Amino acid sequence: MSKLARGPWRRIILLGFVLAWSGPLLADASGSMSPAQPYHLGQGLYFPQQALRVGGYADLQFHGLDDQRNALVIEDLSLFLSKDMGARWKMFGEVELGDAVTATRRQLTTRYANVDLERFYAEYRVSNGITLRVGKFLTPVGQWNLIHADPLVWSVSRPLTTTAAFARHSTGAMLYGTVNLQNHDLDYWLFADDSQAIGFARSHDLAYGAYGASSPLRNDFAHALGGQFLYHMIDDRLSVGASAVRYALRDPRQQYRLIGIDFAWTGRRVEFSGEALQRKADNPALPDEVGGFLQAVVPLPRSLYLVGRYERYRSSIQPGAVYIRNIGLNYRPVRGLFLKLERLDGSRNEALDPSGWFFSVGAIF
Amino acid sequence: MALNAASKNANGRQVAVIVSRQAPTTAIDRNLLRSVFLKKVFLDSANHVYVPVNLPPDSRLRHDFTVAVIHLDEPQLQGYWNRQYFQGVSPPFVLGSQAAVVDFVAKTPAAVGYVRPCYANAKVKVVLVVTVIGKLAESAPEQCPPHGRH
Repeated sequence: MSKLARGPWRRIILLGFVLAWSGPLLADASGSMSPAQPYHLGQGLYFPQQALRVGGYADLQFHGLDDQRNALVIEDLSLFLSKDMGARWKMFGEVELGDAVTATRRQLTTRYANVDLERFYAEYRVSNGITLRVGKFLTPVGQWNLIHADPLVWSVSRPLTTTAAFARHSTGAMLYGTVNLQNHDLDYWLFADDSQAIGFARSHDLAYGAYGASSPLRNDFAHALGGQFLYHMIDDRLSVGASAVRYALRDPRQQYRLIGIDFAWTGRRVEFSGEALQRKADNPALPDEVGGFLQAVVPLPRSLYLVGRYERYRSSIQPGAVYIRNIGLNYRPVRGLFLKLERLDGSRNEALDPSGWFFSVGAIF
Repeated sequence: MALNAASKNANGRQVAVIVSRQAPTTAIDRNLLRSVFLKKVFLDSANHVYVPVNLPPDSRLRHDFTVAVIHLDEPQLQGYWNRQYFQGVSPPFVLGSQAAVVDFVAKTPAAVGYVRPCYANAKVKVVLVVTVIGKLAESAPEQCPPHGRH
């Protein structure tokens, strides 16, 4: 896409979104009515007349790295807006204020604050098994990236496998849906990204986003084409997925191929999940990125969960593999509210995901 | 499905799945029902958006329905809806009583609800009856309407 095309593309897309949000662009053709619903934590506030739901999440984190100053950070303050327009159209937007306030013993600062338009898209339900999404969305690689919000994941820290090798956000078009195969659901996502031409809102996507990580490397797609499949079995207690993406990053400007696998299994007394991926550059002189993690969650009495994770990751920016071990507790007293405490240790992890204690408290509202 | 047949075991642990009399649906299988209540299937055969309606979380009937149709326990279901909420998909609307479910379903062509068979009346169609085998929830049992059918 030429540089000249960037402006018109952005204007057309933004105009469409503004028109859709600003009024009843499409009459409600569903023939349905929605009952008023009282507000509950974790479900958002619903306005039935406008078919609009407003919600979000917020979390406060403590980072106590072994060799650095402790910090207390308002890590995320995220707002969702979701609007149904008739039977087939839907709009969704998420705005996030990240690192809003950082407090250490010496200072209280907002200088790390950043505002991201995390997601912003329109959807059209073509049929029960096919939905078209256009806009900015989360890249469908692995299960973690699609639900990465702090209240939804078990640990404070995030595995390198879920951030380091690909852009977490894509801008373009996606087809996704669920089809039933022999009484089992198969979820699929197929997407094409052209962030270079229509990337109207770049995200704060550091490849190594852990607190205290020293690499400023960013992961932003220039172009990407890929997809993911996730097959559910045993009444959704087991899901097995695979991802493949062919893409070019903006910087370093290289072509890559990524393949990944993931799974999640929920038993009565333990839940296991894991992801693994390999990224190869077209330039054979560049080293691969290869990694994976296995996570276990054991329910304890009184809404408490014991969480353990082990990860091995070989990055292209430092020699040798990084090994990371996490052990922590997750407390979920009521729906929408959570507290997490975690210890992270490892070897050769100082630059990419430093050791330390982490704590977070937050809510989905 | 005949209402009489559905009502035979009104005091047993049966769940009647109901739709509006105006709905084109005449029968629904459990897999489709599960997909509708998990909002994986959105449109009915007339291209109306399904409106599944639930009873309150502490309802014994909801527990029976969840066990028999959704096949997820409450923490798993909560986790599922938390993940869906992050994608902009909300759980089914909740109505306060079986009588409210019957009234709402009767007026809403694409609504799908569930009640004890003795609650189903002439304004709705029973499209599936599910028999529940398993542990009872600890909440108070639902009573049938005082004068027979609602």
